[in-house]
Amino acid sequence: MKSKKLLSGPYLIWSLAFIIIPLLIVVYYGFTTKEGDFTFTNIAQITTPENLKALGLAILLSLVSTIVCLLLAFPLAMILSGMNVNQTSFVVLIFILPMWMNFLLRTLAWQSLLEKNGVINAILSFLHLPSLNIINTPAAIVLGMVYNFLPFMVLPIYNVLIKIDKDVISAARDLGASNIQTFTKIILPLSKPGIISGITMVFVPALTTFVISDLLGGSKILLIGNVIEQEFKQSSNWHTGSGLSLVLMLFIIISMAMIAKYDKDGEGSIF
Amino acid sequence: MKQTIKKIYLGLIILLLYAPIATLIVLSFNNSKTRAKWGGFTLNWYVELFQNESIMNALYTTLIIALLSALIATVVGTMAAMGMQAMNRKFRTVMMGVTNIPMLNADIVTGISLMLLFIVLRFSLGFTTILLAHISFNIPYVILSVMPKLRQTSRQTYEAALDLGATPIYAFFKVVFPDIFPGIISGFLLAFTMSLDDFIITHFTKGPGVDTLSTKIYSEVRKGIKPEMYALSTLLFVTVLLLLILINAKPSKKSSAASLKVKKRSRISQIILRRVVPAAMALVIIAGGFFYATQNSAGSKDQVIVYNWGEYIDPDVLTKFEEETGIKVIYEEFETNEIMYPKIQSGAIAYDVVCPSDYMIQRMIENDLLAEINFDNIPNIEHIGDEYMKQSQQFDSNNKYSVPYCWGTIGILYNTTMVNEPIDSWSVLWDPKYANNILMQDSVRDAFAVALKYLGYSMNSTDLDELTEAKDLLIEQKPLVQAYVIDQVRDKMIGNEAAIGVIYSGEAIFTQWENPDLEYVIPKEGSNVWIDSWVIPKNAPNQENAEAFINFLCRPDIALMNFEYITYSTPNTAAQQLIEDEDIRNSTIAFPDASELERCETFRYLGDENDAVYNSLWREVKSN
Repeated sequence: MKSKKLLSGPYLIWSLAFIIIPLLIVVYYGFTTKEGDFTFTNIAQITTPENLKALGLAILLSLVSTIVCLLLAFPLAMILSGMNVNQTSFVVLIFILPMWMNFLLRTLAWQSLLEKNGVINAILSFLHLPSLNIINTPAAIVLGMVYNFLPFMVLPIYNVLIKIDKDVISAARDLGASNIQTFTKIILPLSKPGIISGITMVFVPALTTFVISDLLGGSKILLIGNVIEQEFKQSSNWHTGSGLSLVLMLFIIISMAMIAKYDKDGEGSIF
Repeated sequence: MKQTIKKIYLGLIILLLYAPIATLIVLSFNNSKTRAKWGGFTLNWYVELFQNESIMNALYTTLIIALLSALIATVVGTMAAMGMQAMNRKFRTVMMGVTNIPMLNADIVTGISLMLLFIVLRFSLGFTTILLAHISFNIPYVILSVMPKLRQTSRQTYEAALDLGATPIYAFFKVVFPDIFPGIISGFLLAFTMSLDDFIITHFTKGPGVDTLSTKIYSEVRKGIKPEMYALSTLLFVTVLLLLILINAKPSKKSSAASLKVKKRSRISQIILRRVVPAAMALVIIAGGFFYATQNSAGSKDQVIVYNWGEYIDPDVLTKFEEETGIKVIYEEFETNEIMYPKIQSGAIAYDVVCPSDYMIQRMIENDLLAEINFDNIPNIEHIGDEYMKQSQQFDSNNKYSVPYCWGTIGILYNTTMVNEPIDSWSVLWDPKYANNILMQDSVRDAFAVALKYLGYSMNSTDLDELTEAKDLLIEQKPLVQAYVIDQVRDKMIGNEAAIGVIYSGEAIFTQWENPDLEYVIPKEGSNVWIDSWVIPKNAPNQENAEAFINFLCRPDIALMNFEYITYSTPNTAAQQLIEDEDIRNSTIAFPDASELERCETFRYLGDENDAVYNSLWREVKSN
């Protein structure tokens, strides 16, 4: 078995070179000034009122998106897992297929759909319904987040649901459990790993996005991702940008800890 | 009843997922250059797509990178998963943690960290760096899809095979491999898809002359997406859809047959489909890639690396230059001065000729990043109007470093069907009548220039009181603003999305062609007049070719070609005389009167500290 472990060797070296070391460079930038002196000021930038607000708003919007995703995805995953599709890959592919249309184009397409004179409003006015004005508001950003990240919630939940032994559910029924009881006592606890991994898979990218808020929020709404992007691109201040990135990584560490705690065996993977 | 509700629900979700895709497909048949207008049905974009070499190149790059990175990631990832399976729990948890980092980390952090790594190592950014980056973020997807399958395989069968005399490799391919094969395939497909869809990481790790579809699209967002892109995505999508139907539909039909034999056969056909189809695809892609690669490398010794704004040159000009001089052009685009600057400064990529704006040229000169241009090699400089050379002295005091390329003003574009009064002042941007109908520029200096000018101050002000006043004014304006945009203002104004927009004069001409209701004005308080000029970085490897390139662009017929394509005012007076359309030759938008220009200022570089002040004030505006 020893030799088998060696198979991980190339990956170990790879991850060291292209995951760990680059992160250490970010840490270095985050804790130094332009002159190379050690400092906490980059990290402390997060406490300025604007940045705190951007972080708070990002947390709020990504929380809302995560909840919406969960509420949409759970029934969906239940339906899909009950559909008796022979080819699980087919279900998976329905959700991955949209990714073959470029992400930027898909998000831009939402702009065309939501605009004042956009497709949706054209349909609404044709039906004599009041128009929908959510473009350039937080609602549009949430929509964009839900749209882009929904597959990452559906797939892990679907994967734990199809693994639930049907006999367990039948047993619960035989023992007199109602539908609701079966759901809350059997299905929900057993799908916890999927839910947890879904939540992190949606929450983190939603928290850090800058493209969605730019395209659908009309750049009026500043999220923490936008702040970091601007530090790097507009201000060319890599030190502050790195410092703020480190703050974001705190959330990633929390997510990783959550996964490690609730999904020990990687059951809730997205495939 | 329950079934119907389920079906309706499923239908709604699929509608949500596929509505934007349907929109894009419809747009690919739209006979209008902007997405804001429906101009009738056409198949033109599909025809033009195959003639557009840069898009086809980007497509091949994207596919090759996706394929190579997915293949390498699949091999390394599968090996890693098997190794990790054999490890003790503690070590495995650590490894899984590391594996989770790229999946959970913000793309922007991953991209930046890799870019920093490559720059620290002085590894020049290009095709290889994109490939390395993609492999890095693809491996975790493979590991995470192979791991569960590995866990389901029983170790005993493998050991039994060994006991029966199979070599480990033989046992692996006969016993373990068939079990984990679906995991490997889905890992590969996922890696391929992720690589295809990635934008942010590619954006940070790419170098000159290399574009994937994503980065190409992003550079086009500036001026509006070319409809060929919609056509290409439609083709890609339909191809994948057909492939999926082919792969999935066939076996599922057969598996309903009870006979074991049939099942077995369908499995084989499934494997053939799954192996042969991708293999055939791979062959086509690789062959095409080699074809393009050899085509590109031909004559690469004599080259010039150009770094320009997105959509800021007529592609035919580049072809013509290559034909006439035999010098190969490697062309790269940037989106803002601020993105361009650190790339030049870090020296990670050596460009030959770059096209920054006035204040950025000043900054580059001050930081000793530019080479003096040898004007003996640029005789066509005589066609550039004296007034523009004089204006350039504001940032290049002896005209030693720069050659003007385009210039223009910033002003107000308004829709005469929505605005009934004559507009001549910035004050209209603060008029509550136009609430939610105003488009503001989304860049620090431009936004502050508007407010400072309205207040009667210099737009190069460094006085904190003046700046604070301007900031308060911008905050006051924010509730009235529909969106902060850069170049989307063009499409939005054409599509009647807003009544008033702050826009560059060059864009104004184009919007008027598309929507005659639009009118452009330079407000009476004054505005910005800017110049974008060609400069040569100090570390340019081919300075003489760069000078030949600049000289070529200054030739009147070439300058005219460019003007007609990009519609930004040309400082080339000889070219201006050549413009055939009298309306445009005398257009006050393209060539405003001297009296109007007297009110205007040019941006100056204010130093890093003042830049930081501007940035932090702007962030206050944006987060308010």
